[in-house]
Amino acid sequence: MQDSFIESLESRGLTRRAFLGFCGTIAAAIGIEGVTAVDVAEAIEKNSLIGVNGGMGKGGLAPVIWLELGSCTGCTESFAQTDDPDPATLLLEYLALNYSETLSASAGYSLEESREQTIEAAKGKYVVVIEGAVMTRYNGEILRIAGEATCAPGDSPLIRTCKDAAVVIAAGSCAVDGGFCAADPNPGGAEGIQKYLKDNGVTTPVVNLPSCPCNASTLVAVVVQYLLLGAKSVVDGLNEFGMPTAYYGETIHDNCERRGHFENGEFVYEFGSVEEAKGYCLYAVGCKGPQTKANCGTIRWNRRVSWCVESGAPCIGCCSADPNTTVRNWVDVSSPFLGRLKTLKLGSIKFQPTPVALGITGILTAALVIHGVGMKATGRTTGGAPFEKAREYDIKHGNVKPSNEAPATEQVVETVEEGE
Amino acid sequence: MAHLVHYSEAHPLVFRITHWVNLISMFILILSGIEIHYPVVPGLMGVARGAHIFFGIVLVINCIFRIVAAGFVKSSPYYGSRKQKLDMYTFLPQKDNRHQLIPWIKYYLFIKKEHPLGGKYGVPQKLSYLLIGVAILFMGYTGFCLWAPTMNIPFFAGFTAAVGGLMKVRVIHYFMMYFFICFTLIHVYLANIEGTDPSKVMLFGKKSHGGLTYDPETMSISGYDNMKDEEPKAEEAEESEAAATA
Repeated sequence: MQDSFIESLESRGLTRRAFLGFCGTIAAAIGIEGVTAVDVAEAIEKNSLIGVNGGMGKGGLAPVIWLELGSCTGCTESFAQTDDPDPATLLLEYLALNYSETLSASAGYSLEESREQTIEAAKGKYVVVIEGAVMTRYNGEILRIAGEATCAPGDSPLIRTCKDAAVVIAAGSCAVDGGFCAADPNPGGAEGIQKYLKDNGVTTPVVNLPSCPCNASTLVAVVVQYLLLGAKSVVDGLNEFGMPTAYYGETIHDNCERRGHFENGEFVYEFGSVEEAKGYCLYAVGCKGPQTKANCGTIRWNRRVSWCVESGAPCIGCCSADPNTTVRNWVDVSSPFLGRLKTLKLGSIKFQPTPVALGITGILTAALVIHGVGMKATGRTTGGAPFEKAREYDIKHGNVKPSNEAPATEQVVETVEEGE
Repeated sequence: MAHLVHYSEAHPLVFRITHWVNLISMFILILSGIEIHYPVVPGLMGVARGAHIFFGIVLVINCIFRIVAAGFVKSSPYYGSRKQKLDMYTFLPQKDNRHQLIPWIKYYLFIKKEHPLGGKYGVPQKLSYLLIGVAILFMGYTGFCLWAPTMNIPFFAGFTAAVGGLMKVRVIHYFMMYFFICFTLIHVYLANIEGTDPSKVMLFGKKSHGGLTYDPETMSISGYDNMKDEEPKAEEAEESEAAATA
């Protein structure tokens, strides 16, 4: 490694040993593609925004603007739980969190000015983290920040902030596709940041990190990946929904600690039962693990203390999201949370798949029985009705030759059948 | 009542085998699918998953084989005739299918009293058999979208993304099962309601004892064959004699 790069690290109080340990952690987190600590160290040296070749200059911090839209602030709470690196390290040594409604010390005019100055000073280099849904109802007037309609179409503080960013990170399901804010009937017109930016012609890449709230470890990993390896490395690893494949490529079910119980057929059918106490699989009480792609079971939550299934709750599919289609928010897709399949909607009619499918099958069975009675009554059950002399169309159009009449052999056939 | 004579040329051995594979696979797939949808018999979950994946792949391969074989193997596209053509003509529209869709529907609804003329399969039958081939492949496709080892292959992941996630694919896969159940109900009903001869030929290659013959050229009933020119097996001969004396 170049001395200057080591110097740059040391200027942040990071020793060589600690740096390689950190690379090992990152390599383990990326894991799936056989990346080693050495690969990470090399990539960091070449691409890092905080290294000598990076855009921040020696000792410079990467500016971050954290915008809070229609949300419950749960993602901020979740972010504050990060521990590797912990929030203080992250904020003091890596990032300059120049704007955050919740975490910034300043407020009001001076804070808004700080946001504008950041955009001006670090065009194309700063990161925007979006928490919460874009509330589009009433021309965006439903959510006003600093006296302006934040989510208005055409021109808004949101568009101005995201336009010049290096990368926009949609932290949490609300920012991805509206999340619970967009749940039926979606009174606030909530939608995801990716859709909003696309509709308004902003081409900044968006990284979608669904889950409710956003998993702090995933968020920090993406931010650190951006700082160390650059925006391209982050964008290249996204799937068709704009989510990092490394974190949203496998289902909860496939990495679930209760998977063994699933395979053995040991299920919880009722809460409060002996099976629940034994920690059996929650599939029968509506666990959405098999249809939800996320890394909760491996990366865990709240400083890796636990996660939903370990604490005894079935997965409710909060990582289901489709950035371009608001009605596919996780609440509408996963409810009822304790049912196996979602409730379907046809206009204003809501129904469960099973009763409808069974109903159609039942009606069909009844119709066939009635039809069978009719077949019996018309004497068709012993070989069908006698054949037509010629096809209806041919008779109608005079194509029939007189010689085509069926021979009178029916008597013989009947005798044969009776003998069976 | 009169019916057409059922020669085993209508269903050569290879297609009787594919039909058996379809029957067994679908039966196991439906039962194991219900188990996977909701663990009715908890202990069978592991077995059900294994069987579901195995027979799902078997069904898809069988379907592809059946379609390809239709271009190589000959079968008789008509009951009441031993004349064989490539099997694809059994399923594709033929001269004698033209103008016959409405008469078939009228016949099923008891509006028309006489049995419509036509080849081995009537028009609604051809349409539904063509549809079931597409349905099997589509069912297999959605199955691979849900199966962890294949779900991230772009060919499958693209569909999952287009319909809006795995939950939607599961709902589609689940509804499709009822499509197959409904098809099977209608299929079994119509195949047997006018006599079990078609099933005997399809399942066991067993010829019927005699019946009308059909001439595809003139599209009309051409005569009667009581199968005396065949070399009947011992018990069949006895049965025919018993029938004759009765």
